[in-house]
Amino acid sequence: MEHATDSGGPAGSLARGSAPEGDRIIRIQHVSKVFRERKRTVTAVDDVSFDVVAGEIFGLLGPNGAGKSTLIRILTTLISPTSGTAFVGPYQVARNDEEIRGIIGVCPQNSTLDVELTAYDNLVFYGRLLGVEERILPDRAMQLLETADLTDRAHMPVRTFSGGMKRKLEIVRAFLHRPQILFLDEPTIGLDPDSRWEVWLQIKRLNAEKTTIILTTHYMEEAEKLCQRIAFMDRGRLIALDTPENHKRAIPAGDLIEIGIEKMHDGLIPALMATGLIKSAEAKEHRVIISALNGSRVLPAIIAVFERFSMPMTSISIRSPTLEDVFIHLTGRKLDTGIGENSTGGRGQKP
Amino acid sequence: MIRGAVAIFTRDFKKFLSNPFVIVMTLFMPVMYLLIFGNAMGGAIVHIPVGVVQDEPYITETPLYTAAVAELKDFHQPDKPPTFDVTVYTSEEVAKQALSQGRISAAVIFPSDVAADTTVRVYEDSSDYMVPTLIEGGVTASVAASGFPNPVFFNRIYGTVDYIMFFGVGVIVMAIFMTTMMGGAFALIRDRELGIIEGYLVTPVKRSSIILGTIGSTTVRAFLAGTIIFIFDVLITGVVIRQPEDFLLVLLVIFIASIGVTSLVVALASRFSTQQEYASVVAFFNLILFMTSGAFYPILGMPSWLQWIALINPEAYTVHALRSIILRGQGLAIIAPDLIALGIFSTLAIILGIVTYRRTLE
Repeated sequence: MEHATDSGGPAGSLARGSAPEGDRIIRIQHVSKVFRERKRTVTAVDDVSFDVVAGEIFGLLGPNGAGKSTLIRILTTLISPTSGTAFVGPYQVARNDEEIRGIIGVCPQNSTLDVELTAYDNLVFYGRLLGVEERILPDRAMQLLETADLTDRAHMPVRTFSGGMKRKLEIVRAFLHRPQILFLDEPTIGLDPDSRWEVWLQIKRLNAEKTTIILTTHYMEEAEKLCQRIAFMDRGRLIALDTPENHKRAIPAGDLIEIGIEKMHDGLIPALMATGLIKSAEAKEHRVIISALNGSRVLPAIIAVFERFSMPMTSISIRSPTLEDVFIHLTGRKLDTGIGENSTGGRGQKP
Repeated sequence: MIRGAVAIFTRDFKKFLSNPFVIVMTLFMPVMYLLIFGNAMGGAIVHIPVGVVQDEPYITETPLYTAAVAELKDFHQPDKPPTFDVTVYTSEEVAKQALSQGRISAAVIFPSDVAADTTVRVYEDSSDYMVPTLIEGGVTASVAASGFPNPVFFNRIYGTVDYIMFFGVGVIVMAIFMTTMMGGAFALIRDRELGIIEGYLVTPVKRSSIILGTIGSTTVRAFLAGTIIFIFDVLITGVVIRQPEDFLLVLLVIFIASIGVTSLVVALASRFSTQQEYASVVAFFNLILFMTSGAFYPILGMPSWLQWIALINPEAYTVHALRSIILRGQGLAIIAPDLIALGIFSTLAIILGIVTYRRTLE
């Protein structure tokens, strides 16, 4: 899977952080951020290194408090790293901050829209801060409002907007000056499914204009739908970085097959294992849960075993592993439990 | 019903108790009102500077002069210091000049002979509240006590100044303060609470542009508010602007005061993270600065500790400068010390404002 793309366009095929030097639009080398508050020190970002390739949608995935937002704040020049170096485009963070601000667009986690202004005024005001030429600014603002499906709301105060509309406005606002890189910190947090879907569509549209997009999220579905590569962060550390497909392939358990039954037979599990096609099987109340590397291919053999024992099946489902499963595999914890809980896990921790 | 009420009560009370700063300020404010408002208003006005001259042809001090000046120096309200600080001038010209420059509040010209048809002439600064009445009472009583028959003639050199004219000037200063304290700074804190300021920081806009824009917008607002109230003042209180230069001078004073107060407020607003804390501090500043500015009551009538505050109070200089121009028609020469004081204050405030605001942007 590892090869370079000459186009520089959406590069879903790039894996494991390797790419030709010129295509790496963000380079992060051993970046750490330590917050000191009185006698307590918190390491929010702990020796993180990775590259982002030009033109991709890159996902930073992890539970709340994993250090995603801190890393974004470092890259967007809001705070400087305690140690390590990071380059955004050709510019070094904490050294050429003003130049960096000129090539990035940022949509922070908490809204920074002025709710008293209209959507159009918000865009024009921001366009001036971003140095967009006055001559093209009105057209640009209207064009972006159209992208966000907000044309009919252009001259209404943002206060009257729904959460999804505000979010879409904020994302296009970050895109006013056609930045090379767009940072989206939890772009769909707190949105209903419809709005979330619309925001995703918009992110894809912006990416189609050759913008590199970095987004943080703790929604697996979002990362899976949008991102060409995903970095998992946990407790300030980068624990894995790959394409979604490769992440899932790295799980030893493979697909999960769930079969509903009415009554259990003692000989079933040994017989299933005897087929040699599956990795594990266990019975839970009225279900048998089987894991196998290639679920749909081994299913007929499994069904045959059930029939041999004359066990009627009430349901069958095959589920590919999700990124959630990947995270559980990597850390031993569920993604949404946050940090500090269940800290005994950690099987197969990757550097 | 009771359960819900208790829940809300408990929540409100818990929040109130969790902010010691606001608790202290809520108790502190009434006490400060008592001390400042109570002392600043209605105190006995004493040590009014008065000049005395015996008119030409001067041969020797007349008994009228000697007796009346002695009475004037001794004149006081029960258990109070002397009402007048008497300075002897050698000629009417010099005394009148001192009066027009505001160094004395009245010039008392005694005639060179004692007779019922030669008058004691009193030229008095009528632009101050209460002071002309005290001078008139004091001089009349002193001449009467001297036992000589000369009548006293009073000349209010700025005409009759009503209290509304006197107070109207103070309201201009209040407009400046209100606009910045309430309007500008609250908006600034709210912008920060809402994260709007953080939004600025990821754009290529320079930090200095943010500071300039913030201070600039609030200054202009304060300036406009001050100017509008000034025009209002002219329309309803009956003060007369004598010449266009005076109008421009008023605008200059309003502008310098606006930029100084705005910068001070930006510095304060940068120090306080919540609107509540800021509001209690500002209420205190508003009280102490406005009360000691002389807008309500002559500074001469305040106890000395409040007079010291007035000495470093930029609003007091603003009020004095505006009164000099609007009520007394005095020019740049007279208000120059006020402008210098305001200039120093504004420069310090701008530096403080930039430094503190900048720190919140880093």
